[in-house]
Amino acid sequence: MAEVHVIGQIVGASGFPEHSLFCKWGVHAGGAWKILSGSREGQTQVDNPQDEQSANWSHPIDIHFSTKGLQGWPKLHFQVWHQDSYGRNELYGYGFCHVPTSPGMHSLECVTWRPAGSLREQISQYFIGGGPQLKNPDVVYTGADRYKLTTVTMGKVQLQLGIILRNFDKYGIEC
Amino acid sequence: MAGNPTVFLLMVSGQIESAEFPEFDDIYCRYCWVYGQDWVITSGLEDGITQVTKKSHDDRKLFVWNFPLEVTFKSTNPHGWPQLVVSAYGQDAFGRDVVRGYSAVHIPITPGQHTRTLPMFVPESTSKLQKFVSWFLGRRPEYVDPKVVAQGEGREVTRVRSQGKVRVSFNVVTKDMKKLGYDTTPTDAAASTQPAATGIVPGAS
Repeated sequence: MAEVHVIGQIVGASGFPEHSLFCKWGVHAGGAWKILSGSREGQTQVDNPQDEQSANWSHPIDIHFSTKGLQGWPKLHFQVWHQDSYGRNELYGYGFCHVPTSPGMHSLECVTWRPAGSLREQISQYFIGGGPQLKNPDVVYTGADRYKLTTVTMGKVQLQLGIILRNFDKYGIEC
Repeated sequence: MAGNPTVFLLMVSGQIESAEFPEFDDIYCRYCWVYGQDWVITSGLEDGITQVTKKSHDDRKLFVWNFPLEVTFKSTNPHGWPQLVVSAYGQDAFGRDVVRGYSAVHIPITPGQHTRTLPMFVPESTSKLQKFVSWFLGRRPEYVDPKVVAQGEGREVTRVRSQGKVRVSFNVVTKDMKKLGYDTTPTDAAASTQPAATGIVPGAS
């Protein structure tokens, strides 16, 4: 059985219109993969940066997978939310990225997008906030029904991940 | 008598180099190592405190500690890979010790030299009145145990303000990770012999 360790952090995010952001993250993998230890999902703290435009979370991720096949390599997916001073939460972006397949340290930037509504919804979003959200968050990491969506670009989530692979060379996998 | 190793070692030598905190004058740091249940420190200190340093008077406005970190861990499992938790403290206008920032970072998994910049954050009071009272009394919100910063659980209820950065450098050496089958660099995985076992078929799912 081959094993994959994902050891790193969600460092932070940048390029979003407002500060005071938090991120909900999760990991999705195919049927051959099993999580031996570590949490499958989580939520960072809400960060309100003092002097910069970027949010800093430094949220640790430590997941241990075992796998019987290469299909369904794990993917990390994110939802970036904005919390205003009244405590209301507003969706700022969805994004996903694959866990890197080669061992070593990796710095990743995951781009995010937000669903754009109709013109009326966009005008009301400008004045009172809120905005459309996905009913089924699976669309973030699959390509299945994407053609029905119109989206707007939002900022980026930065990750620093260390990948340790075990026994992949015994099975002849080159990565 | 060298049988198959069952543990691998991780040796880290490095330093808490310097920091930037634009608004403050005197800062010192406490650090500690946080690691999982399969890990044990075989040599080195579990935690420590640096000196108090003052900001440089030039344009860099840098705090320099140059504080050495030397520790060796032993483990059977990479899960729970050690993290360095740094908490920075300073003195407020009334001379009381207040927390200026927390941060945590994993020790890099690849052998070699690495530098990391840790963004520091402090827990924030919920309302303006609470902020004023805590400024006045010198009792800022702080974590009861700084090790919370190294965990992912329970963070969703906290609100923080990030300020300042601390720069840390690591030199990482590992022993017997390859013998136990762990690859931490791409060249190790490529330098394999012949495939021996069945079980992984790239077309199956």
